[in-house]
Amino acid sequence: MRIRAERDDLADVLTRAGRAVGTRSALPILQGLLCDVSGGTLRVTGTDTEITIETALDVEVLEEGRTVVPAKLVAEAVRKLPAGAVSFSTSDGEVEITGNGPRFNLREFDANDFPDVGGDSDAGSGVEMDGEALIAALNQVGIAASNDDGRPTLTGVLFETESDHLRLVATDSYRLAVRDVPGVAGVDTTLIPYRALKEIGRTIGADKVSMAIAERKGSFVSDRGRMTARVIESSFPNYRQLLPDEYPSRLTINRDALLEAVGRASLVAEDHIPVRLSLGSGGVELSVSRQDVGGETEYIEAVYEGEDMVIAFNTRYLTDGVASMKTENLLLETINPLKPGLLTAADDPSFRYLLMPVRL
Amino acid sequence: MGYRGGMPDFAERFLHIDMDAFFVEVERQKDPGLVGLPVVVGGLGRRGVVASASYEARAAGVHSAMPIGEARRLCPHARFVPPDLTSYSEVSHQVFDVFRGFTPLVEGLSVDEAFMDISGLRLHHSSPAAAGEELRLRVRQEVGLPASVGISAIKFISKLASDAAKPDGLLVVDAGKELEFLHPMPVRRLWGVGEATRASLEALAVVTIGDLATVPERVLVSRLGPSLAHHLSQLANGIDKREIEPGGGAKSISVEETYSEDLRSGEAIERALLRLCDRLSSRMRRSGYAGHTVNLKVRFGDFETQSRALTLGEPAETTPALWEAAQVLLSRIDRSNRGVRLLGIGASGLAAADQPRQLSLEKQPRHVAADVVEDVRERFGDAAVFPASLMRQEAKERRDE
Repeated sequence: MRIRAERDDLADVLTRAGRAVGTRSALPILQGLLCDVSGGTLRVTGTDTEITIETALDVEVLEEGRTVVPAKLVAEAVRKLPAGAVSFSTSDGEVEITGNGPRFNLREFDANDFPDVGGDSDAGSGVEMDGEALIAALNQVGIAASNDDGRPTLTGVLFETESDHLRLVATDSYRLAVRDVPGVAGVDTTLIPYRALKEIGRTIGADKVSMAIAERKGSFVSDRGRMTARVIESSFPNYRQLLPDEYPSRLTINRDALLEAVGRASLVAEDHIPVRLSLGSGGVELSVSRQDVGGETEYIEAVYEGEDMVIAFNTRYLTDGVASMKTENLLLETINPLKPGLLTAADDPSFRYLLMPVRL
Repeated sequence: MGYRGGMPDFAERFLHIDMDAFFVEVERQKDPGLVGLPVVVGGLGRRGVVASASYEARAAGVHSAMPIGEARRLCPHARFVPPDLTSYSEVSHQVFDVFRGFTPLVEGLSVDEAFMDISGLRLHHSSPAAAGEELRLRVRQEVGLPASVGISAIKFISKLASDAAKPDGLLVVDAGKELEFLHPMPVRRLWGVGEATRASLEALAVVTIGDLATVPERVLVSRLGPSLAHHLSQLANGIDKREIEPGGGAKSISVEETYSEDLRSGEAIERALLRLCDRLSSRMRRSGYAGHTVNLKVRFGDFETQSRALTLGEPAETTPALWEAAQVLLSRIDRSNRGVRLLGIGASGLAAADQPRQLSLEKQPRHVAADVVEDVRERFGDAAVFPASLMRQEAKERRDE
């Protein structure tokens, strides 16, 4: 194999595919990137077997072939070469990377050991969607996904079709995020790890992204590449029954003011210290106090309809929800201090963030 | 530390106090007829073990953790008494109240022993020995029980000293004379030396702590691994940098059971474990704690013991929450078809259960139910309410009784 390409282009395809490569993989081969050159194109594949990312680049091909190279090292080596053309070739078990003077000779892995991650099998016609909108929606619901590998179901984002559009849902059992994506229809119900979805924006994000599900894998394809993830096979909690039917109390509050106030309260609170919201007719008093440190209190004017109530939330969970809504005014709807509260943007019901309080 | 009021602190500032034959002495308080007789407290079933033996029984060779059958053989005329944990726990609280009234720097080690830092008591007592005697006297007067005290400038040596002072005695190891005291002792008296380590050391011709002190640490590393080698090498040379960590006593809560016959079926194991979770929950709720970490211990018929721990998203103290964790832990145990001799379940990372608690979206009527259960048990005893899946067995046991 022997190719020539621009340094920046080559570094880009290697780095993006390399994002799927785990740092603690049991198999050494999974520390590598598969580079496959044929018909004028270099295809780069990285995988940890759960997530696979493939990128492609048109290059000057002097000789076709395949190799597996150490992912982090090669991407870094290419990036650190002087700007300009880079030549990339294999011989005698080594990859030679040169450009304007410096020459790296790096051991290659045996390309035959690279797992068959089914890159070529086209997953069939996918559902096409606006890439930017998809990524924004995933970022919004993803905050509610769990990182706890002990409960894999909760690490996923549920994709489902709700009447005529796509709905994304995630929950870590303390909060639940539901995002409706209008204009996208025909997605089959599936649960995909958020850890994988979060890579879409960083690796293959583009104007158009299409999604397909086949053989227990979900794949997202754009003109910048493909991200494939193994779906989570357990069934997602029945989130609909977690959403209360009605909320007797409603606070309408400036989003930035609330975000800044919670930010100040968070300085004092640690993860287990909640911020108290005293809801009353003229607005809300936020307060946090810790025996060993001290406290912080402030009042924000707002419109509140409902009975006076003191409800407490984990500061991080509240911050996540408020920060995820880029809007002028928020609604915080509540039932009582032990039942979930619902955050939505006042002008956009497409995203709902349901949050359980902290019992004082 | 240093100086207070112009007077130097005690050099021998670590005090270790250990109640003498604690369970036995509590039993003797309840039943003075036991005074002067050999007494053994322990599980009386076929696989029960000795929890505590009086000095009269120890003279016949009985010691704690010995199978009860062997104790009966060695000391047939001893009085055998089943343990009464509620009383021991009550008396333990009284004892610790005395300790904490003496100095706030108390580090509880178990129900009946503690370390203290007495350096600040210089103004109240003329010498470390006088402080120690005063403490022993207070325990005797206020709780009515004997205790032994060891005092040293080095923390772990104070514990060895209290042991050497038993029964009902006091020993101060003077600063500078620690190695004289320490080196003739067998190595297994050091913390961290179990049977396997003792055997490894014996292969190096190390029998006493003094022998151990002469072996270079790098030689120990190859046999014991770096951390244990370093630990033992330090102790053998009288080096122990640990300070008193006030608190303790209740860093974890656990319950365990040894079965008179090995549990073989998965169902029997799960059932026994569920019952332990229920007992643990009851103890935790009564003490007002919830635990962030749940620990499972399983000992097989061949005496191999496996432990697994799980840290939870939110602290648990209800039976369903503990049971959920216990099932996960049980699935991580490699049983290889062996019978189970002992099961233990515990919670650590304790936090007061009434601290603010993040609620979950998942439906959990558990707390309400658990509160009711506790209430019923307070009034009618533990057997009044238990998980339905234990029903068949409980009913059977009652028939058997």
